[in-house]
Amino acid sequence: MAEVHVIGQIMGATGFSESSLFCKWGVHTGAAWKLLSGVREGQTQVDTPQVGDMAYWSHPIDLHFATKGLQGWPRLHLQVWSQDGFGRCQLAGYGFCHVPSSPGSHQLHCPTWRPLGPWREQLARAFVGGGPQLLHGDAVYSGADRYRLRTVASGLVHLELGLLLRHFDRYGVQC
Amino acid sequence: MAAAGPSVFLLMVNGQVESAQFPEYDDLYCKYCFVYGQDWAPTALPLASVSRADGGAGAEEGPRTVTRTEERRQHGDKARPWGWRQALAFPGLEEGISQITSKSQDVRRALVWNFPIDVTFKSTNPYGWPQIVLSVYGPDVFGNDVVRGYGAVHVPFSPGRHKRTVPMFVPESTSKLQKFTSWFMGRRPEYTDPKVVAQGEGREVTRVRSQGFVTLLFNVVTKDMRKLGYDTGPPDTQGASGPSPQQGLPP
Repeated sequence: MAEVHVIGQIMGATGFSESSLFCKWGVHTGAAWKLLSGVREGQTQVDTPQVGDMAYWSHPIDLHFATKGLQGWPRLHLQVWSQDGFGRCQLAGYGFCHVPSSPGSHQLHCPTWRPLGPWREQLARAFVGGGPQLLHGDAVYSGADRYRLRTVASGLVHLELGLLLRHFDRYGVQC
Repeated sequence: MAAAGPSVFLLMVNGQVESAQFPEYDDLYCKYCFVYGQDWAPTALPLASVSRADGGAGAEEGPRTVTRTEERRQHGDKARPWGWRQALAFPGLEEGISQITSKSQDVRRALVWNFPIDVTFKSTNPYGWPQIVLSVYGPDVFGNDVVRGYGAVHVPFSPGRHKRTVPMFVPESTSKLQKFTSWFMGRRPEYTDPKVVAQGEGREVTRVRSQGFVTLLFNVVTKDMRKLGYDTGPPDTQGASGPSPQQGLPP
């Protein structure tokens, strides 16, 4: 069986209108993939940047997969939330990106979006907070039923992921 | 060696903790240590007198190491195959405390440590790839030693020369009253074990404030990874990565 190691960090985020941000992340794979070691999902710390406008999480990701097939290559899905001074959390954006498929070190910049409601909800969000959220988190990384959504662009999440492949050349796979 | 092939690969990392950018703080020193998984072990044992910059604490502890002259006496002067046996005789610098540095008087306002890192690991599994954990400390207004930042980054795994800029953050108190009392008493919130920064679990309840960067330089050499079937990608010479300290955006 071929093995894939994903070793890296969720560095941080830029371009969001709020400043105290954290990220809930998870990795989704197809049926042929098995997670041998590592945690598949997690939540980062809440960072309030003092220098510049990038919120830094430096959250380590270390996953070890064994796979029998190429379908269902791992996808990393992210939800960025902001936390205000009272401890309330508000959704800032959803995003996903595929784990790179070539070995080596990669810098990824994942764009995010958030659902947009009618003008009344947008006004309420500006004053009171809150706002629409997805009912099922898998709409972030799957294409089904996206046509019903109305969204607006949000900031960027920066990741540095390194990929280590094992035994892929035994099966004739070129990455 | 057995004809079946190697079961262990080696990772040698050397380099330095080069410099830091902390716009608001001065007179800083840093500590570094390595955090790695269960399948990993450092092969080079530190010689007691060399491993610590402060010289004192490391002198008594640590297992006895074999020096080069002793090894030559035991095995004769014939050429030994290059490999991990040789590494045992060489001292490693896998943790340390740097000097205290102040900002330069010129326009750069640079904080430079130029503090060496030299460690070799052996492992059977890339899971738990080593991370270097940095902690930076400095004096506050009252003269107490307080923490100015924690940060961690994975050691790069493609052979070659790498520059990494690590963001540094400190835990923050939740209420304004706690912030004032900790500033006044000189007892800021700190992690009881800085190695927490290298793991993902248990960090979801921490509030932090990022306030600086540390630049590291690594030279990475691996042995037997290809023989074990691992593909680490193209060697990345002179690769620079990490956030650019000025804009906060990656180059």
